[in-house]
Amino acid sequence: MTITSGAVRAGAMRGWVEFRNSLQTPTDVIYYVIGAAGFSAAVWFFRDDVIPELGISTAAVIFPSVLALMTLFVGAYGLATLVSTEREDGTLLRLAMQPAGTFTYAWGQTVRTLLELAFTFGMFTILASILVPDLWARGIGGASIAVGFLLLGVLACLPLGFVVGSLFNNPRSVGGWGFLVTGAIVAASGVFLPLSELPTWVQIAGQVLPLYWLGLGLRSALLPADFAVVELGESWRTLESIGMLGLWAAMGLVLAPILLQRVARRESLATLATRREKAMQRV
Amino acid sequence: MTRDIVVRARGVAMSYGAKRVLDSIDLDIHRGEVIALLGANGAGKTTTIEILEGVRSPTAGTVEVLGIDPVRAGVEHRARVGVVLQSWRDHGRWRVREFLHHFFVLHSPFRKHDSWAVDDLLERVGLADKARARIMSLSGGQRRRLDVAVGLMGNPELLFLDEPTAGFDPHARREFHELMHELVDARATTILLTTHDLAEAERLADRILILHNGRIAANGSADALAREVAGTTEVRWTARGERFVHSTESATRFVRDLLARDPDVDDLEVRRTTLEDTYLTMVAQHEAADAETNGERA
Repeated sequence: MTITSGAVRAGAMRGWVEFRNSLQTPTDVIYYVIGAAGFSAAVWFFRDDVIPELGISTAAVIFPSVLALMTLFVGAYGLATLVSTEREDGTLLRLAMQPAGTFTYAWGQTVRTLLELAFTFGMFTILASILVPDLWARGIGGASIAVGFLLLGVLACLPLGFVVGSLFNNPRSVGGWGFLVTGAIVAASGVFLPLSELPTWVQIAGQVLPLYWLGLGLRSALLPADFAVVELGESWRTLESIGMLGLWAAMGLVLAPILLQRVARRESLATLATRREKAMQRV
Repeated sequence: MTRDIVVRARGVAMSYGAKRVLDSIDLDIHRGEVIALLGANGAGKTTTIEILEGVRSPTAGTVEVLGIDPVRAGVEHRARVGVVLQSWRDHGRWRVREFLHHFFVLHSPFRKHDSWAVDDLLERVGLADKARARIMSLSGGQRRRLDVAVGLMGNPELLFLDEPTAGFDPHARREFHELMHELVDARATTILLTTHDLAEAERLADRILILHNGRIAANGSADALAREVAGTTEVRWTARGERFVHSTESATRFVRDLLARDPDVDDLEVRRTTLEDTYLTMVAQHEAADAETNGERA
């Protein structure tokens, strides 16, 4: 076996075990179920709230927005929190001392996040589709484009999660501040309030961040073509969406391995012991 | 005698800002040697191990581990060196056997014919009956044994252990010592361990290094170190209600003379110097010497 294939296999196993462990942990399962049920309930609540000029329900507009939100939440925020937690508890150091360990760690986290995303999307999509059948006005064609945008969105969010998780070594600050920042990104992304109704500076900030473009791409795939008039520039701006998401993905894919390697190299027995003592004092 | 040199350090120094942690350390470790690194907290033990592992670059000096600079070591080097961490709570949700299997897969491209199989290793560290248990359910001692198992996974040529038996009960400690002896005898593994347990160091190590204020204060076998400290054996007795203590190199002759000379000798006790005595004496000597140099400077 070559070094690469060994590390790829070990990382895939790692991702699967981590995800399975999560499914065997009651608090994690409750978190997944409440997330899927809560968002499905929101979609169901707006099922009869038809937008007169467009002839579609608000539920259909919320659905792609929630998919975009979940991508950011699981792929960037959730991943960042995990990475900084596993820096603190020595997981990263343990792996970094093994042959090809840092790569195995990153690949394992990627696999785990992908599984969690697939599971979260799956639960929500199935539940929401049962409750509100007319979410799929654009049929198979629209659904495949949506899957394409989701993949691109994941590619933009995952490296972001690794970057943020590597930059901060305190999982509690990533959890707390990260939550606020994620909330701000969501507010400025047009997934719940159309961006055209927000102040200009929020519109500019929103269009720099990836979440707006992911939401826009998903709406362009799942909503009737007429809906584009509500968007900025009265167009789906498909090329711009792909370009911006691709740019974020490329930036992250360059930065993430550099930062993670650097952080893994800096981890040491002494820093681990210091953090252990600190955490013990807190308990 | 030309034995392989596994670790060679020359003039290694390490400072964090203005604080000097290590000061011109010279060290050779030969294949199959077991070295115990002793010293108070903050004496530089962990830093020394980290430099040899390649986790840190020294501020001065050169280090060679298995023939290469460990900071620049590649993937293959990592596979030849085992590290036993003082772990804490990582991988708590994993089950014991799948955790070890994960590292088995990581090491599989580098496997040697005599590398451990997962179940043999579990058996050897006494965790076979815990194979399906989650790591967070293990006791502190069981957890350390699992750490040892991870360190041994690749059948390393060189093994670093940072306080390996902290939290072990006497039974687990005995088994751990047997495992270490087996590694050295059957596999010629070179071992560098830090410990606060001086009896353990005396039992396991061929050679003992005492670090004091970032320097090697002593370097030799437990016996050799004891000889350096004046008197290797302590004789205690009482006579006419008074207590006496005398240190000597040849206790038998001293006691024979003593009994011939003084008929009132009672409560006679002959105690060979332990490593603990040697250690405390040496550290005290170095502290006195340090205080003197500082006094001269002032």
